[in-house]
Amino acid sequence: MTKAGEYRTGVKPIWCSGCGNFGTLTALTKRVLPRLGLPRHKTLIVSGIGCSSRLPAYVDSYGFNSIHGRAVPIAQGAKLARPELTVLVVGGDGDFFSIGAGHLPHVVRRNVNITCIMVNNFIYALTKGQVSPTTPNVRRGEGVFLSHEYYPPVDPLLDMVSYSASTRASFIAQGIATDVAHLEWLIQEGIEHKGFSFITVLTPCVTYNPQWLFEIIREKAFYLRDTEPVLLPESSPERPWLHDPGDISLAFKLAQVPLLEQPLLGVFFRGKSGKPIEDME
Amino acid sequence: MRSNVTLGIVGAGGHGIVAMGSLLQRIAASQGYFSRMPRYYTAQIRGGGSAVRLILDSRRLSLPADVLDLLVCFSWEKYLEFETELTLGADTVVIYDDDPPSCMKLPRNSFKIGLSRISQEETGSERNMNLVALGLLSRMLSFDRGRVERVVEEDTALQLLKENIVALDVGESIFAEMSFPDLALEPSRDESPKVVIHGNNAMARAALRAGCRAYFGYPITPSAEVMQDMLEGLFYEQGVFVQAEDEIAAVGMAIGASFVGAKSLTGTSGPGFDLMTESIGLASAAEIPLVVIDVQRCGPSTGIPSKSEQSDLDHAIYGGHGDAPRVVLAPYDIDGCYRLVIEGFNMAEGYQTPVIILSDQWLGQTFVAVNDGFMKSDYNVIERKKPAAEETDGYLRYRVTNDLVSPMAVAGDEGFTYRTTGLTHNQGGAPAFDYETHQSLHQKRWEKLSPLRDRGDLVRVLGNEKATAGIVTWGSSAPFVLETVGQMAVEGELKVCIPELLHPLPHKVVRFVESVERLLVIEMNYSGQLYRYLRSQADLPGDSRPYCRAGGRPFSQRELAEVITEVVK
Repeated sequence: MTKAGEYRTGVKPIWCSGCGNFGTLTALTKRVLPRLGLPRHKTLIVSGIGCSSRLPAYVDSYGFNSIHGRAVPIAQGAKLARPELTVLVVGGDGDFFSIGAGHLPHVVRRNVNITCIMVNNFIYALTKGQVSPTTPNVRRGEGVFLSHEYYPPVDPLLDMVSYSASTRASFIAQGIATDVAHLEWLIQEGIEHKGFSFITVLTPCVTYNPQWLFEIIREKAFYLRDTEPVLLPESSPERPWLHDPGDISLAFKLAQVPLLEQPLLGVFFRGKSGKPIEDME
Repeated sequence: MRSNVTLGIVGAGGHGIVAMGSLLQRIAASQGYFSRMPRYYTAQIRGGGSAVRLILDSRRLSLPADVLDLLVCFSWEKYLEFETELTLGADTVVIYDDDPPSCMKLPRNSFKIGLSRISQEETGSERNMNLVALGLLSRMLSFDRGRVERVVEEDTALQLLKENIVALDVGESIFAEMSFPDLALEPSRDESPKVVIHGNNAMARAALRAGCRAYFGYPITPSAEVMQDMLEGLFYEQGVFVQAEDEIAAVGMAIGASFVGAKSLTGTSGPGFDLMTESIGLASAAEIPLVVIDVQRCGPSTGIPSKSEQSDLDHAIYGGHGDAPRVVLAPYDIDGCYRLVIEGFNMAEGYQTPVIILSDQWLGQTFVAVNDGFMKSDYNVIERKKPAAEETDGYLRYRVTNDLVSPMAVAGDEGFTYRTTGLTHNQGGAPAFDYETHQSLHQKRWEKLSPLRDRGDLVRVLGNEKATAGIVTWGSSAPFVLETVGQMAVEGELKVCIPELLHPLPHKVVRFVESVERLLVIEMNYSGQLYRYLRSQADLPGDSRPYCRAGGRPFSQRELAEVITEVVK
């Protein structure tokens, strides 16, 4: 049995003190990998470029810190050539959702059995605070280097949950870096799910996020629990329903809930049908 | 009797031009004739023009002559689109379906034969007119009737119908009724049946032979057949095949598969090759074996997708930022297409580096009929250097060894976990940000390739060793140069160098260019890419010049004879 702690390398993370990325790293190395008993040599973590993409260097498994936006194709090639490996992809919102977004619908339709962990810190942090596809509207001077409100012109934000629901990813979940216990459960579910899994981790950037952003998210966060009523914001025309992650139409409805009005955490969708591509004859 | 004949067939898409050409080629191949059949097409799938030029030769694999001996024309409108590829001479025999436009003056031996009408009357459909013409041609060329029928029967695409044989009979009877000039071919010197194959086929077969079990690609002209053949081949080998969403994904997947130990290939053409540039840099930096086939076409940008050019050399050698070494190979004939792909895998695996193999539309899509010995030869297949089982303690992925190639564990190997990265990294693979590590890593990646400079076997030198005039040429330009030199009978007055390994440049090439007083570099691109590259690598003689021009039309022997005359005089 692998002991906790064995999955960390001696490399010191480049992250700021208090960075949310530590939450994902801890969930993986201290909890998920030891608990699943995944042999280090059968685990491969692929990443692109960004703060969170440095993660493979800190985990004692096979790792590949590749180039910006291309972790998903590399991970697919590896998984298809060696299906016995557990393959994880870790990256940020810019990596997955801006430069690498073109690969996502295709990995979804192939349903390659890999687990993507998108660490969403709402910002390009490694390049010091430019807007990403997930940056909410904030005012100038609120910590963001480039504020949406005045310049550059506003690009409406892209919501990763609605995106993955619309492409019918076979496992969709959202966690938060500040709740490691919940996050580790989600990642474990994602790894054990047979098929493509997409997990978003709401992650505070202590340097470039405006302070109110995570105050709102943490204050309003609501945990989805199977068979219990979902919590909808006042703006929602829908009436609450009992959460059923097996129903894609309910996942579509959840995906319509604006993140900052009502952050939802948990498993949005867990598909039952569909064989991963590497199991096909 | 003649030893060779060059013929052209032209019509609209849907007339079965390529089908007729390839039937003729296979009939000839079954009787031992060598042949080569470049094809020409326009972008649209239906309604566009289609033409082939085919040389049948009883002695050797030669190039189609500049001027046709025989033209079969199903549409004069389409003929005019390919006029420069299908040049008529005073002695060309022309067989055509309906009257040419009034502006055209036909050679004296021109025969109007209502092929479409006869086909309609005798077989109930105009669609068999290519077979009517085939029946006629097989008699004109004096082919064995039994073999003609056998090849037609074996063609699964034809879905043999009684009309097909009827159509052949009708064609043969036309021969009996009319009097044509004699085009009969002498029997093939070497009657062993020839295999009909093009470069794209050969490259895919070679990849499988080298042990490639993972292919990732995206459709693009003129390399699509590589992907198609790999799809078939890997299905039988139970390998991995993915048609990716774009070339960036394709090369990324290939790198991922190679990282976990599979010999991986991707194939593409110019625009797709551009998209792979960043990832090729990654494979170079992280020392991950990768083979990329680029079947070049006319550029820049979309250029002319269906026509040949040799204009990706700069990109193959230099493409990408930040000093990323790689290997560049370029075959110039069909067996080179096969041999160099195996060689390419050996180099990629042996040196842990990306290998780019530059083919082009001419090599890739021109069907040739040749002896299949090159596919049956023994080839050495090299596997990746792996760490020994006892090296688990303190395993360093990028350990500096004597030959600078580090033993590479792959994901799944117990006891060797490591992290790789496109970041500058230390011997263990951890990111590093200091000058010393950076400099030594560059040195490792560049220097490990230096033994390749001794690969004189990948440089072919022909002609008179003592000559003071020399030609360097590469890729599909080379057979044109050799053919022209042969026709001019000037082998005694010059020597020709054809490097198959272009980067790193073998010493043998440098010695060659430094041994002559007059140097001509012949290549098919506008800016003289090989010429400029050679200038950067060697002291060229004072009298050095490129002969280079844009692609889009193969070199003619007349054109090359003019420039070669200049250099030998």
